[in-house]
Amino acid sequence: MGAQQRVYKQKIRSAQGMKKIFKAKEMVAASRIAKAHARVEATTPYADALTRAIGSVATHSNEISHPFLDNERSQTGRAGILLVTADRGMTGPYSHNVIRAAEQLANTLRDEGKEPVMYVVGRKGEAYYRFRNRVPQRSWTPYKEDELPRLGREIAAAVTEDLISEDPSVHLDELYVVSTRFLSRFVQKAHSVRMVPMGLGDVSGANAQTYPLYEFVPDAETVVGELLPRYIQSRIVNILLQAMASEHASTQRAMKSATDNAETQIDKFTRLANSARQAEITQEITEIVGGADALSGSGRTER
Amino acid sequence: MSALDVTFVTADRTVWTGQAAQVVVPAVDGSMGILPQMQPTLAILGTGVVRIIDQDGHVEALEVEGGFASVDADIVTIGVDDAAVVEPASSRL
Repeated sequence: MGAQQRVYKQKIRSAQGMKKIFKAKEMVAASRIAKAHARVEATTPYADALTRAIGSVATHSNEISHPFLDNERSQTGRAGILLVTADRGMTGPYSHNVIRAAEQLANTLRDEGKEPVMYVVGRKGEAYYRFRNRVPQRSWTPYKEDELPRLGREIAAAVTEDLISEDPSVHLDELYVVSTRFLSRFVQKAHSVRMVPMGLGDVSGANAQTYPLYEFVPDAETVVGELLPRYIQSRIVNILLQAMASEHASTQRAMKSATDNAETQIDKFTRLANSARQAEITQEITEIVGGADALSGSGRTER
Repeated sequence: MSALDVTFVTADRTVWTGQAAQVVVPAVDGSMGILPQMQPTLAILGTGVVRIIDQDGHVEALEVEGGFASVDADIVTIGVDDAAVVEPASSRL
């Protein structure tokens, strides 16, 4: 076998090996999407219950005040950005999209004269900022998929603490969350949302939902104080779970095209190997014919 | 007799849902019993055991730490961070 053929055979084998890996990763991701999505759905009843409860307190008393509802939060000009990225690679454009969205948001905030402070989830985002010498304020890496609710609570506790802190070097005026929304297994979108200060919406308008007059235990103020941090927590947990589902969907898509590309490579190199083999055979024949011609031309009769 | 429509949820799943005759929740300022026809209430929970008693007298006890409970037209919604099922023996305390 000629050298050229051997090189092509080697490339085919390597592409076949990679194809197997990509295929396996694709199937693993595909099987996890449904499960991850079901976990997102499972948080909905709790979120609904909370939203209803907060809505009822808001309609009940107009003068409820809470640091998270105050629209004039401008003590330090520091705005927190919670960025949710992947822990692993091979997820296609998943991490890049959210990082880009976060950078855009940070630039907008800087233009408004605010100072963005990064809170990063996932190794990819953390590495991005550390490499650029802008070490995030806090980062949570690596994380485990089945511990996301616990992680969400931990993150919520940390940012809530910074939001209400009196220390000017820690205090945050605002909190934004940049993550990927899971719209369907084919569509995921990086998007940023402002978490604090939150707008309660128009609770007194004509099309506002009507809530019954509630009795509050112990009182409306305490109830709001307890419910709002819980609301943030439930939102963050939901966002993390959605991001996880999106990561799987993105991985699946990326691995699907990687598998297809590996197949194209195998096809291409098989063709090249075939033509190299054919060229070798043709050359051998030419040599034999040429040799025979030379022998017959020399006039010798016996070999 | 009317019954309570109970939904017990934690941050990441629904723990218990169904009809009950009585629900006892550990509100921050003391244990609170919920019976049908109760006035709409929104309560913050402390640490303790939530007991859901169904029409046959069967008791479902879950230990909770913080959370909230809302009662509205016989619909009871309990939301907590996490709940652990208490063994039947200790639920009679």
